[in-house]
Amino acid sequence: MAGAGGGELKYELAQNAYVKLVLHALKHKTSAVNGVLLGRTSPKNENLVQIEDSVPLFHNHLGLLPPLEISLIMIEEYYSTRGLGIVGYFHANERFDDAELGNMSKNIADHISRYFPQAAVLLITRSLKLYRKGKIAALLCRFVSYASMAF
Amino acid sequence: MVTKTEESQLNKLENQVENGGGGAWEYLCLARKLKVRRSDKVLKYGLSILNDSRKRSSLGPDEWTLYEQVAVAAMDCHAVDVAKDCISALQKKFPESKRVGRLEAMLLEAKGSWEDAEAAYSSLLEDNPFDQVIHKRRVAIAKAQGNISAAIEWLNKYLEIFMADHDAWRELAEIYVSLQMYKQAAFCYEELILSQPTVPLYHLAYADVLYTLGGLENLQTAKKYYSSTIDLSGGKNNRALFGICLCTSAISQLARGRNREDKDSSSDLPSLASAALEKEYKLHASDKLSVLTSTLKCLRVSS
Repeated sequence: MAGAGGGELKYELAQNAYVKLVLHALKHKTSAVNGVLLGRTSPKNENLVQIEDSVPLFHNHLGLLPPLEISLIMIEEYYSTRGLGIVGYFHANERFDDAELGNMSKNIADHISRYFPQAAVLLITRSLKLYRKGKIAALLCRFVSYASMAF
Repeated sequence: MVTKTEESQLNKLENQVENGGGGAWEYLCLARKLKVRRSDKVLKYGLSILNDSRKRSSLGPDEWTLYEQVAVAAMDCHAVDVAKDCISALQKKFPESKRVGRLEAMLLEAKGSWEDAEAAYSSLLEDNPFDQVIHKRRVAIAKAQGNISAAIEWLNKYLEIFMADHDAWRELAEIYVSLQMYKQAAFCYEELILSQPTVPLYHLAYADVLYTLGGLENLQTAKKYYSSTIDLSGGKNNRALFGICLCTSAISQLARGRNREDKDSSSDLPSLASAALEKEYKLHASDKLSVLTSTLKCLRVSS
């Protein structure tokens, strides 16, 4: 998965982060779920974002502001002492055949990308998809096949 | 909606059955009474009773209620064959029954044949236009197909007839929130608060929606509703306590440009709320106390 010079962004998703989010989605099979992805830009390669951990957030009333604000503030506080920041947003829709990223998720992801411009959105559908904010990176397919092989 | 005691009772029974302690029938009865959605457990325990002919005959006439309950649970878990078997057993016993007809239509829905299910429901409704379950199934079909606007339309029509159905109002409010139509969601919660003013959950949800709408007036009203939630729930509701801190911070941010309104009467409120939160955290999650204090500081600093 060699990256070309200049601008091709790569994401590395740690197993722990992925498993937590999938388990959260499985526990609440009948509702939409969301969460945040935590990580950092790799110190060796500024085009690589390492997603090391994740925090599942809600499983109903995803669109309400108060719980979201409090949880984002608390997550920032807790993880900044561990050197991680919020690097992305995770979402899974209520219906299994719904592969669209709704308006609300886009708003939240926009908000996150204001603080971290290379933010990613992870949308769990029947086939795993990772959207980079703004465009779907070409290396998406390779990332997907790697993820499905690993898990 | 289930109270905490009922939920803990249900969970206790579930653990008991899971670990081989018996009590499956009590669990199934309680689940049916509380109308909770624990279909995988209901399916497992229900089938264990139904497949054992001795246990089945010891149920007597309740056997058929169990068949119905297991059929619905099977459809929820996408075990369509199990559902079909249960429904055929019921059909043999009650050949011309409307209740079984309803289950058959639900089976069509579970298989994904939306038009057939719709047709079946419409014909059932002609005979009995006041069957609440069938009306709600129609909403469910629209929602399952992703046609949220049709679901909203059906649900509104349903609520015009059955205005007292609280669960339907809650469902409508949740759909509106998911579509970010917060004003309409607020209306639904207002209806709920009017009909059941002592349920803290509705006050809390209403306050959340008002805060999300934003604007000085909404924030002040939201603060009042968070306070009433705390009042009704005996001070145990963490979300409401957080809500008060958030509201105070947001209100003072908005009011910074204008004249500082005298809020001395309520200036104790945020500090009381923070104190209550800190006490709760010390009790239940003392290792996260530092996160809480820095969060509260962040809210006060930004205000």
